[in-house]
Amino acid sequence: MKRFKSLMIGALTAVLAVTAVGCSSSSEQEQQVLNIYSWADNFDQDVIKDFEQKFNVKVNYDVYGSNEEMLAKVQAGASGYDLIQPSDYMVGTMIQLGLLEELNKANIPNMGNIVSTFKTPPYDKENKYSLVYTWGITGIAYNKKYVKETPTSWNDLWNEAYKGRVIMLNDPREVMGMALIKNGFSNSTTNTKELEKSFADLKKVVPNVVAFDTDNIKQKMIAEEAWIGTVWSGDAAFIHAQNPDVEYVIPKEGATIWADTLAIPKGAKNKEMAEKFINYLMDPEVSVKNYESIGYSNPNEKAYPLHSEEYRSNKMVFLDTADIARAEWLVDVGETLQQYDRYWTEMKSGR
Amino acid sequence: MLNKKPVKLLALPALLWMGALFVLPMLMIAVLSFLKRGTYGQVVYEFTLNNYIRIFDPLYGQIFWDTLVVAVLTTVFSILCGYPLAYYISRLEKSTQQIWLLLVMIPFWINFLVRSYAWVIILRSQGVINTFLQSLGIISEPLPLLYNSGSVLLGMVYTLMPFMVLPIYVSLEQMDRRKLEAAYDLGATPWKAFWHVTLPMTKTGVVTGSILVFVSSIGMFVVPDVMGGAKSALIGNVIQNQFLSARDWPFGSALSIVLMLLSMLLILLYFRATKASETKEGSA
Repeated sequence: MKRFKSLMIGALTAVLAVTAVGCSSSSEQEQQVLNIYSWADNFDQDVIKDFEQKFNVKVNYDVYGSNEEMLAKVQAGASGYDLIQPSDYMVGTMIQLGLLEELNKANIPNMGNIVSTFKTPPYDKENKYSLVYTWGITGIAYNKKYVKETPTSWNDLWNEAYKGRVIMLNDPREVMGMALIKNGFSNSTTNTKELEKSFADLKKVVPNVVAFDTDNIKQKMIAEEAWIGTVWSGDAAFIHAQNPDVEYVIPKEGATIWADTLAIPKGAKNKEMAEKFINYLMDPEVSVKNYESIGYSNPNEKAYPLHSEEYRSNKMVFLDTADIARAEWLVDVGETLQQYDRYWTEMKSGR
Repeated sequence: MLNKKPVKLLALPALLWMGALFVLPMLMIAVLSFLKRGTYGQVVYEFTLNNYIRIFDPLYGQIFWDTLVVAVLTTVFSILCGYPLAYYISRLEKSTQQIWLLLVMIPFWINFLVRSYAWVIILRSQGVINTFLQSLGIISEPLPLLYNSGSVLLGMVYTLMPFMVLPIYVSLEQMDRRKLEAAYDLGATPWKAFWHVTLPMTKTGVVTGSILVFVSSIGMFVVPDVMGGAKSALIGNVIQNQFLSARDWPFGSALSIVLMLLSMLLILLYFRATKASETKEGSA
């Protein structure tokens, strides 16, 4: 989901290499190791340090740039990781492929703290294998300077006044999902008729599109190359901080919700420590520190009253529970993915 | 005879390298292209021709065609811009030549993505060109310089032109200048001398450069994404999507194999064509 983060890999690994060298000499007595494989910048550095001290454990942190990259590595076996962060749909895929360990809930009492809708996501209905960590909703970000009327519907992207100024995520499932929701269908439909109708509709918006972009969508909104578009809530918060003219709404038809989760790959060596880490992250006070630092939405309902006024008043980070309930998850569509991909290719080819 | 064996041994590391990093992955791709995609995107080890049958969908034919058009245009523009540059450099003093050649090569030291984004900063609506023109009052609205097929072509030619300039420069350097003097002595105009002497004698450079540029542009997917706003579907983008979003490795492999065969065929035809014109000239 967050491929833009891969740009940070280089810098981060360099920093980690230096800190790893610095730490190794400190305490030699039976120190345990927790190997994390995740997106770049996904944790507050102090939160990890506190955890290391409290549990006398050494945390190693490797990063990936896409779910597919992570899947390939875990699938190849013997990855040596104890904790991974697959996105929602990837959790579903990995469960089907038998690549995830069941979580031992006895070790994660804080699991109960999360928002109730996150306790029953369709890709892992009972949180047997995964727990939502960072999440957001794909809504409409728009620049007040050019978009005078507050958008209320996905249909506003089709408005001819925004010709050449609409931006969309460069992601077939996200964009097709948006068109499906606009037409009143599920964003993960496998019904050919529904796909066909939504695609015909989607084709009409293409002349309005300035670019499809996931990695640099924020820059394009900040620099006002795009006036309106499909943007993740977390990115919208980042854009708004740089360009206060940009606002964010969740359209009335509903929207797609996504999450990067905490999960344990099959054959993890230190499963118990991974569970302790998950539990630690879900501690209300720790989570407040962690999420205010990384700037993502906290799924921890127990922590809500503890957050700063600034965090709570930011509508792009502190989303309404009603909006969460209204949003829909993307789930694996199996064979139908071929049709999604073909439609996507057809749309791009301009025919 | 005696020293043949050590020479063979010296080539061994390179051969192993090629075998491990080129031939093996190539074989894997070839095998993958005949396998099935499982429901969850995994590779299922069952033989099928379906991936190749899917390519006959006119949509993919169209995309192959579009890709070829872009690659040919990139090659032609690279020759048109690259040949005069190489010619100019080859006529300079030796020491100045080295500076120019360095200038041609320096961009290679900078990451390709960074260079593409530099173009974005120059061309975008709040970019260098538009802000400059607006401040002079020449335009009132920013010009749409970016995210269209023109900017894609610009990006491709910019990125690949050194591959054209360097081989042409080398062949210009190796050219026997006395033949040019002879042409002048026999009364040829500069244009005639260029057309009948210089150009034929530097054809190897043009051919080498063209193949390098053509092959590189046919698989290009970063430039259309960054400078074209990911709005076009070239075959490189479609293949990338099979591996990343559609999780259909077998189909992506089949597309790669077809792309490879197609470029090999085109290069072969190109060689034939240039060879044919060579013999024609020789007999004339």
